[in-house]
Amino acid sequence: MPGDSGHDITMVTCTAPVNIAVIKYWGKRDEDLILPINSSLSVTLHQDQLKSTTTVACSPRFKEDRIWLNGKEENINQPRLQSCLREIRRLVRKRHIDGNVSSSALSSHHKVHICSVNNFPTAAGLASSAAGYACLVYALARLLGAEGELSEVARQGSGSACRSMYGGFVQWRMGTQPDGTDSVAQQVEPESHWPELRVLILVVSAERKPVGSTAGMETSVGTSSLLKGISHVISQQTGPTASPQHRAESVVPQRMEEMVRAIQQKDFAAFGELTMKDSNQFHATCLDTYPPIFYLNDVSRRIISMVHRYNQHCGETRVAYTFDAGPNAVIYTLQQHVPEFVELLKYFFPTETNGEFLKGLPVSSVTLPEDLTKAIGMEPLPGGIGYIISTKVGPGPQVQEDPSLHLLGPGGMLKVDA
Amino acid sequence: MPGDSGHDITMVTCTAPVNIAVIKYWGKRDEDLILPINSSLSVTLHQDQLKSTTTVACSPRFKEDRIWLNGKEENINQPRLQSCLREIRRLVRKRHIDGNVSSSALSSHHKVHICSVNNFPTAAGLASSAAGYACLVYALARLLGAEGELSEVARQGSGSACRSMYGGFVQWRMGTQPDGTDSVAQQVEPESHWPELRVLILVVSAERKPVGSTAGMETSVGTSSLLKHRAESVVPQRMEEMVRAIQQKDFAAFGELTMKDSNQFHATCLDTYPPIFYLNDVSRRIISMVHRYNQHCGETRVAYTFDAGPNAVIYTLQQHVPEFVELLKYFFPTETNGEFLKGLPVSSVTLPEDLTKAIGMEPLPGGIGYIISTKVGNTALRVLNPVCVL
Repeated sequence: MPGDSGHDITMVTCTAPVNIAVIKYWGKRDEDLILPINSSLSVTLHQDQLKSTTTVACSPRFKEDRIWLNGKEENINQPRLQSCLREIRRLVRKRHIDGNVSSSALSSHHKVHICSVNNFPTAAGLASSAAGYACLVYALARLLGAEGELSEVARQGSGSACRSMYGGFVQWRMGTQPDGTDSVAQQVEPESHWPELRVLILVVSAERKPVGSTAGMETSVGTSSLLKGISHVISQQTGPTASPQHRAESVVPQRMEEMVRAIQQKDFAAFGELTMKDSNQFHATCLDTYPPIFYLNDVSRRIISMVHRYNQHCGETRVAYTFDAGPNAVIYTLQQHVPEFVELLKYFFPTETNGEFLKGLPVSSVTLPEDLTKAIGMEPLPGGIGYIISTKVGPGPQVQEDPSLHLLGPGGMLKVDA
Repeated sequence: MPGDSGHDITMVTCTAPVNIAVIKYWGKRDEDLILPINSSLSVTLHQDQLKSTTTVACSPRFKEDRIWLNGKEENINQPRLQSCLREIRRLVRKRHIDGNVSSSALSSHHKVHICSVNNFPTAAGLASSAAGYACLVYALARLLGAEGELSEVARQGSGSACRSMYGGFVQWRMGTQPDGTDSVAQQVEPESHWPELRVLILVVSAERKPVGSTAGMETSVGTSSLLKHRAESVVPQRMEEMVRAIQQKDFAAFGELTMKDSNQFHATCLDTYPPIFYLNDVSRRIISMVHRYNQHCGETRVAYTFDAGPNAVIYTLQQHVPEFVELLKYFFPTETNGEFLKGLPVSSVTLPEDLTKAIGMEPLPGGIGYIISTKVGNTALRVLNPVCVL
């Protein structure tokens, strides 16, 4: 056994991306395995602008598993974390049993220290849990030598995390098996497929969202008959031609097909329209929940209005919005339209702060045509948008080779900045 | 024929009530006959607080039909008005043909002058078209001597108007006939059935609603797949449950169904493309407040419903009105000098401290413009001055 000098600690640092669903996941058919009631599809965002960074360290000298999130130690016994640790360790043992051992003394029963940071606000609908769990799973797998379907492990930490295991355009097939082995993510197209696609994140408010996703979607499944067929509903349909329009059972499967096609064909009008419709339908099922869940606020709705009026004025679907479980907007558009739309946002949501309003990829300034602002015809709302992150489609999780990026010190404890 | 001295003008004035749907109508299967994709059910409100007043006059000397609404002359050729006039006249001729003539020289081809006023804001989601058309149809029927299914005529002016033809609790059966003869209103229970029921109308804003109902519901039918499912699978069951809840005076069931149906209606608006938003941040705050209040009380004591606008209609029982109104005054303190509380008087009470703490919301000054306190209304249509001969 190596001595105490620090040779017995192994460390890996990874980064993983955020993903924003264009066909939404909302509702589970299995709470423990995190199996969804419908498939979903997302766009992976570029890690230059948004990412989760996780350092994992393993050592026989560690007495217990520990985790620090954004500088604060959290409870390692949280069931989702335990699921991921357990599953990764199971895959490590499986690999040893299969005789495929090439790593050294790393073992599934050594304890790990985990430190994770996001470079964006947590729990405000900016998909932080997806990036966080994907990063954790990827890093642990690299550290401990686990092989296998990693998206299945990430899914058990947080459903949408499985989609962050790949870059580009990713679908999470809902699967049919009760054990969830076929409920996994797969790449639809890589990030190089549609290089003109751009993403603007409009951070409306960094407050915590009023109803967390896990509790929220459980209440929706239990109370919204628009989301999913509820067995006691009396249907007046009699013939074989009748088809219930429940979102999960009837609407999403068709939309998934259309979305995959739109992406493959780089058809922005179809992509955009489907994206907006699915965002609205997701929020509609939240409203149909009892008690109702409101994630959109007046600012979100103003943004929605603005997009529809802009598209109408342009005579095409040029910009699309989508909202997750929070008021922040994610805007999709093509590269050539970004400058004008950003200028429009600055006009209708003038900033009051001194800080940076526009972060991320640079955006050129343009002059707005006068007929355009008139056509939108809304009152400006100062301070409505906190700031904008300009980004694009990006790759999946990456290992960071540079040791200065480790978040844990050489002893495996939280690194304290000088 | 009478001479020119004015004996040849006959006049009738009627009033009609507003109704507030607890199971919502949203979407037509026939735009011309105004046939809905699902049944609906409403509560008729008391005319002491809200009503439409219409005077109709008929004379052989009138050269054309004319109409004034809230003091302004409007276009008589508007298709809905034409439908009502045409249908009433058809019923008048039918009565003459059937040989049932007891009226004098009143004839279906004489022109009419119509004047109508509401004592509440128009087109702000306060069900003004329902009261207006019900009143018009009833007044014309009384004036011209029409008999028959008047709710069917009112329906062709404005769908929900058919429910204003009765008091108490009223359902509009969607019907199955293509000609709409079975798409009519019928009373579920009279207003005397549940005397403890109270209604508070929270007027959030008297602005015009952003998307009118007719265009809005047409877009919803055309684009929302959730709406189709609502109409086919959800509403039929809810109608049965609502009728039962009313018959049994089960407020918890009545209230829960009412809130769920309001939310589902607005959910289908959001599922429309482009999406329609009738609720605003104030509406949503009111919704939150009701849920927190009910949770604190351990029962469904208060229920909300919202039509195609941000104004809230609150249902509750008589004994809970004072406390809930006090709560509204606390969380939506008024900034104006005008009357905040109109209609039926409401006693003042002191709010228990744990209650306001349990609600746990920031007060929003000016969030509510004013409140109308009312109750379920009796006989729908009253005639004033049945005959007025100049």
